[in-house]
Amino acid sequence: MRRKFWIGALAVAFLISLGWGWNQYRVAGEHRLAAENNNRRALTDFASHLDQLETDMAKGNVASTPAQRILYLSQVSSKSDAALKDFAQIPAQQTGLSYVGQFLTQSGDFARTLAQRIAGGGTISAEEEKILRDMHERLMPVNQQVQDLIVRLDTEQLVWTDPAPKLRQRLGLGTQVAEAAADGSEAPAKSVRSGLDQLDASLQKLPPFTYSGEYSTRVVEKPLGLPTGDVTREQSLEKARDFLNKMGYSDAAPEFGGESQGALGGYIWKSKDSYLEVSRQGGVITLYRNQREIEPRTLSTEEASKKAKAVLQTLGWQLVITSSEEFGAYVQFDAVVEKDGVRIYPDKVRLMIALDNGQLVGLDSSPYYAFHHTRTFPSKITMDQAVRKLRPNFQVLESRLAVIAKSGNQEVYCYEFRGRYQGEEYLVYLNAATGSEEKIQRIIKTPRGEFLK
Amino acid sequence: MKVHARPWAMVVTIGLLLCVTLSGFAYAALGDRLLGRGSKGSEVTELQKKLVQLGYVVGKVDGKFGSKTEAAIRRFQKEHGLRVDGLAGTQTIKEVKRLTGQSTNASGKAVGYKNTDTNLLARAVNAEARGEPYVGQVAVAAVILNRIADPAFPKTIADIIYQPRAFSSVDDGQINLPPSASAIRAAQEAMNGSDPSGGAVFFFNPAKTSNKYIWSRPQIKQIGNHMFTK
Repeated sequence: MRRKFWIGALAVAFLISLGWGWNQYRVAGEHRLAAENNNRRALTDFASHLDQLETDMAKGNVASTPAQRILYLSQVSSKSDAALKDFAQIPAQQTGLSYVGQFLTQSGDFARTLAQRIAGGGTISAEEEKILRDMHERLMPVNQQVQDLIVRLDTEQLVWTDPAPKLRQRLGLGTQVAEAAADGSEAPAKSVRSGLDQLDASLQKLPPFTYSGEYSTRVVEKPLGLPTGDVTREQSLEKARDFLNKMGYSDAAPEFGGESQGALGGYIWKSKDSYLEVSRQGGVITLYRNQREIEPRTLSTEEASKKAKAVLQTLGWQLVITSSEEFGAYVQFDAVVEKDGVRIYPDKVRLMIALDNGQLVGLDSSPYYAFHHTRTFPSKITMDQAVRKLRPNFQVLESRLAVIAKSGNQEVYCYEFRGRYQGEEYLVYLNAATGSEEKIQRIIKTPRGEFLK
Repeated sequence: MKVHARPWAMVVTIGLLLCVTLSGFAYAALGDRLLGRGSKGSEVTELQKKLVQLGYVVGKVDGKFGSKTEAAIRRFQKEHGLRVDGLAGTQTIKEVKRLTGQSTNASGKAVGYKNTDTNLLARAVNAEARGEPYVGQVAVAAVILNRIADPAFPKTIADIIYQPRAFSSVDDGQINLPPSASAIRAAQEAMNGSDPSGGAVFFFNPAKTSNKYIWSRPQIKQIGNHMFTK
């Protein structure tokens, strides 16, 4: 009797688990299919955008009127953006620097730079024509290989994830097929990803393009503003201690927290709630943070701004505060160099002032040390001439000369106009030498302060 | 007697009191009354939603001012330089409302929160660098933004974060956890141009990673448990 009951109970349990298992398998299958569909969509879109990109490049090369050239060059840049987006969705086994991505970004960027120039009445040099042709030459085999992958996806059952995984994999014990294949160890030509990796490797071997645009160069390789001469670890400790003392942490006993490399590399020091970085070259504080508990506020933003000015003076900086952002217990200020009435925005120092007692709780002077140098200003048009270049009805509220950073680590000497137009407030930058428009920023008022977009 | 001396004052006071209490029942709006442990109602729900939006854990948004909501209020007060009493009074509510308000253009027209990207960035920071020092959290946010500026990576925050195999927190779903207040602050700060990573485009935990590629990248610095590399 008892035995029969148990057999019956086990049979029911088995049937229930079987049903449950089957249902799970079905659901997993649906998810696999959804993923497969997404992957196919990304790859097909990628191939199709590449193909359109290639065609538009070819047309752009032959177009003769400026209007037609602008049209095709703009299409090149938008198609390359689209292709890049698709490419970023194709399954991968790890993310690294991608040469396919870099090639797409740079061709789009170069085309956009040229289109902007032609739109402004400029011309393309013979050298740039050649770069454009070279990019097209390089794109053709890329396009071919991606299309080939699509064909092989159908004819050779190329995988990213196996459509019919083995039992071991179904149970989640093994690695995904596409991963194993992309590893290069197991049948390298059998997956889409390994095909793309091969493409990447082939592009890596080719020389980089030399042009000036947003993505042509990346970071400042050599900081321009660091004082000369290297400091030792002991000397940097002295600098750290001195800095903390000046900021009102008299009992600071900094402990060594490691070294940092790179352009502004140096020594890291930690003391109670403080974190400091002292550069190897010049021995200056490039980054400082204090994470102490901040008591209820006693200061307003205006009072904190005065404190920030005092801190700047103590540290020996001659800067003007240009903006503030409120973070509740502290306020963040940006201060820049102003020389002969010209605001030099790239030479920036960021300070954080605690609202309980006005102490400095954060400092980031890395932009200043990266970009600061003695600048010479070219001859300029007069302010009146510049104002006349503005849009009619643009109501100017403030104006001054400024140096602003432009993409690709370039700087431009500009007239800065803060003004209103149809209920919106903007910052408009006109090139001080030519009067051409360099940049427009819209001013948004967020709960934490003004924001430029 | 005082009451007889100024009967109108009594009437006005009672009237006012009645008005305030009755309006509290009828149209309970956040900021009308002091909220504290044990308060209930739609204002509490609104307060809880706003606290969640700002990255403070309140547990379930249920319209009941319990211990978790009180703890959240305390943390909010601490981090915003207010008197820490665990009560949502006029000042605290004003600050909560202000910080969750929409952005406006120059003539005061609302233009939305303007922070959709910051929110995703904050989620990534929360998922990847929870428990790391604050500087390290800003650095993680900066790495994602540095990738936008690097030609070899996708060009939007979402494309970078959701790029297959780019972040383990996307693969294990931690990216969908609500971001903490410090992750939100770190994301905002990085969006505003801070980069404590020194221009890094990768970061990893040296104690947990054996990936050869990531170890081969030129190292910049270690902050907390994360090594930041080119």
